[in-house]
Amino acid sequence: MATLGFDTATAILTVAVADGREVLAEGTRTPGSDGRPRHSPLLLLEVERCVEGAGGWSRIDRLAVGVGPGSYTGLRIGISTARALAQARGLEITGVSTLSALAMGVFSRETTGGSPGSGGQATRAPLPVLDARRGQTFVQVHDPRAEPRGEPLVLGPEELCELAATVAPKPLAAGDGALRFRAELESVGVEVPEDRDPVHSVQARHVCVLGEMADAAPAETIEPLYLREPDAKRWLKRDERTDTG
Amino acid sequence: MILALETSCDDTCAAVVDGPRILSNVVSSQASFHEQYGGVVPEVASRHHLQLVNAVTDAALSQAGAELSQVDAVAVTQGPGLIGALLVGMSTAKALASAVRKPLIPADHLHGHVAANFLEPDPIDPPFLCLVASGGHTLLAGVSDHSSFETLGQTLDDAAGEAFDKGARLLGLGYPGGPAIQRAAQEGDPAAFGFPVAMSRDPGLDFSFSGLKTALVYRVRELGEERTAASVPDLAASYQRAIVDQLVVKLERALDRGGWGVVALGGGVAANVELRERAGQLCEAREIGLKLVPLELCTDNAAMIAAAAAHTEPIPYPDYLTFDASAQAANLAV
Repeated sequence: MATLGFDTATAILTVAVADGREVLAEGTRTPGSDGRPRHSPLLLLEVERCVEGAGGWSRIDRLAVGVGPGSYTGLRIGISTARALAQARGLEITGVSTLSALAMGVFSRETTGGSPGSGGQATRAPLPVLDARRGQTFVQVHDPRAEPRGEPLVLGPEELCELAATVAPKPLAAGDGALRFRAELESVGVEVPEDRDPVHSVQARHVCVLGEMADAAPAETIEPLYLREPDAKRWLKRDERTDTG
Repeated sequence: MILALETSCDDTCAAVVDGPRILSNVVSSQASFHEQYGGVVPEVASRHHLQLVNAVTDAALSQAGAELSQVDAVAVTQGPGLIGALLVGMSTAKALASAVRKPLIPADHLHGHVAANFLEPDPIDPPFLCLVASGGHTLLAGVSDHSSFETLGQTLDDAAGEAFDKGARLLGLGYPGGPAIQRAAQEGDPAAFGFPVAMSRDPGLDFSFSGLKTALVYRVRELGEERTAASVPDLAASYQRAIVDQLVVKLERALDRGGWGVVALGGGVAANVELRERAGQLCEAREIGLKLVPLELCTDNAAMIAAAAAHTEPIPYPDYLTFDASAQAANLAV
């Protein structure tokens, strides 16, 4: 049996079907000419194409979906699609950290195609960094085997560099946030692969691998990792503080 | 039999409808979450829709005693509405429909408010004149057939329900504003304060409510905190009167032009007692019918989306996989 995995947390749509370490089908869609992600019009199309390429829905018994952190709208499109597919098709479903999927990509690159338990030797710690807009990043420290260490965080570039400087062994940063803050990260000795390196994009094949290792959960409990409260809520709290202060 | 989803604003809704019969109509209101902000916050609404949409859909199917595989099509609000909120419903509906290889029917939210009149109890058929007034929309619809309507006039700025919300916030009456102002107005004198009835001298059928809100801002400022607090019932009654006056003036003007035999009211503002009474008096004087749908079909609900979908061309699998939501309006022939 196989796992269908996808991620819509970043501007790139990625879908794959994998059976263990064997990737049966995968597809990627980049933003349109206007620069906007195309998750809503293309996710289901890409899902159906990959599933068909992998031998049809009868081969799929598990669904793994990237739960972020990332674009709120992108996450809601991906998660509502995943939940409804799982609900209607009676599939097991797991939520996968987008940052860990990115870290898995680094691990895979470091070990030339390995995955946890495959015996590959990675010496650098993946540091997945996503662009959180508003001059901030989503980041989570991982060990060289792509296991998360600590919680996912929202950090500005200075805090990001302070964190990165403490990571041992020396981290290798990946993701659109690493590209955006390349200069800052490199200034504290963090390696950032060249811009065109595929390690900077989330790949659904890694979502599948992590999804297969995780426990399945009830569909309605699969929620986005927002990490930030809605602006209105923050403003409300600020106003309350002002009123009482 | 149609399963319909509606997530265009702050209510997460699912329903199963068979012709004019409503088999289930589940609405999970988020009003209590938005109350603290004095209005709907799009990001908060979108987050709640995602939390609720699966449970609400399950409840609609189970209350109808139906399986997903038994429905003939899945309908969903395509727009207009809050784009982030719409996308939750659209993504869910597309995935559900594709999983059972059934058609998808993207419906127009406003067509839904019109089509609520096609549902039991007491369904009516076109032609009729429909006033839709809610927190997001205010329009006069000329309904000549089941599948479309003609927009005869619409608001140029705020919706009537928005005017209630903003007025209630200014008067410290809470959210949603319609019921709050209506409650406060019960003890007040609607003639106590003169508020402008915008567009009443405009020969067209369009509406405008933003000036009214500004007039209330100035009046509150003139009165000062203490006198405003003491005048809340009178302010609420006068403000409500100005909103209803404008709606009724335009309704009357549309009747002058159209020769309609029936008037229908839809949208959350149609729950307003003064509007219902005034529309009733107008129709009685003109000896024409007044159709008032039950309150649960006035406010946002998915049964009305199913009713609109029943008269909209279904899109067969897999043609809808690339379909998208639209904040502006549905790409439908309405």
